[in-house]
Amino acid sequence: MRTLVFIPAWNEQASVASVIADVRKRLPEADVLVVDDGSTDATAERAREAGALVASLPFNQGLGAALQTGYLYALRNGYDACAHLDADGQHPPEEVVRLLAEVEADRADLVIGSRYHSGAVAASGDYKPTFSRRIGISVFRFFLTLATRQRFTDTTSGMRAANRRVMSLFSQHYSPDFAEIESLQLAVRQGLRVEELPVRMLERAGGSSFLTPVRSAFFIFKGLVVLLVGQFRPRQAEAKQ
Amino acid sequence: MRALVLAAASEPQVHLTSQTRIVAAVIAVFFMLLILDLIRRDRLQERYSVIWFVAGLGMLAGAAFPGLLELLADAMGVRNTNVALFSVVLLLLLGLALNFSVIMSRQAAQITRLAQERAIEKVRQQAGEPNGNGSAGKERLEAEEQGLES
Repeated sequence: MRTLVFIPAWNEQASVASVIADVRKRLPEADVLVVDDGSTDATAERAREAGALVASLPFNQGLGAALQTGYLYALRNGYDACAHLDADGQHPPEEVVRLLAEVEADRADLVIGSRYHSGAVAASGDYKPTFSRRIGISVFRFFLTLATRQRFTDTTSGMRAANRRVMSLFSQHYSPDFAEIESLQLAVRQGLRVEELPVRMLERAGGSSFLTPVRSAFFIFKGLVVLLVGQFRPRQAEAKQ
Repeated sequence: MRALVLAAASEPQVHLTSQTRIVAAVIAVFFMLLILDLIRRDRLQERYSVIWFVAGLGMLAGAAFPGLLELLADAMGVRNTNVALFSVVLLLLLGLALNFSVIMSRQAAQITRLAQERAIEKVRQQAGEPNGNGSAGKERLEAEEQGLES
């Protein structure tokens, strides 16, 4: 069983090395790849020093393209399972181990680490979303559940584990604009088994969220359009005919 | 054809003076020359120039035969020829802008994929395995990629 853990990073020189060290400690047998999304700071150097492979995109392309790079790399290099987590230290690697275990036991194709899943509430005293973020979360949760007829609690989680079926799907189709939400919708529509697992997440180590109220509103609107359009995309079964 | 000749001969309602017609024709000719020059200097690809030549010819036709505009207005059921003209031009520009958005999206996707391929290639150099993974992995990959396309 070959496993790849990849970390999308954009100007995360302060935290990337410790995240890599943590992952290597918890998952000594896994390969670690940092997808450097056109960072202008020393992210790539720090990652290399910490012993990770580094895929540097020549210019900033956004989270979706960075994640897709990771899936594409995992697919091309014959990994059986892959997982990704954020570079800012919000995602404890021991939780990634649990996600990967689900995939490796073949209980699901794609496993999402959820901050808000009922099982996570007791443990996640450390993570508190802001008000505008909470609104966005509940709106997306509602519409994604409506679209997929499957209950999702944490639609924007950046901590996931996946098998080769997901790699081949996401390396072909992955929205650059609305990576997290649309990918869930896509995976469910393609008949993949998507599962949420309650995880503990930490307050972000540095930097602040980019969301202001106006941006949040725009973000939500864009997300709804993306979800609506996604409902009209062909399913694989239909496309085959 | 007969309608065309008639349209050219009679110009009862269209309020185009011969001066405006000449100006329009001159602009149309210059416009097409500009397109030609852009292609000649490799600033514009042929496949994206066809639509502009059609636009230039349309302008020229409108200037030479103002009756055409009237036929157009009649066909659209619009009494005012100017309104008909503006509507058609506006719709054409809208379509053109949409066409550019489609082209732009395709190129953005291509650029992203190119950047990703290059990034992955660089990892391979860093890892020091020029041949990548073994042949077994490659066969498996091809099978999966074909499965996706079908």
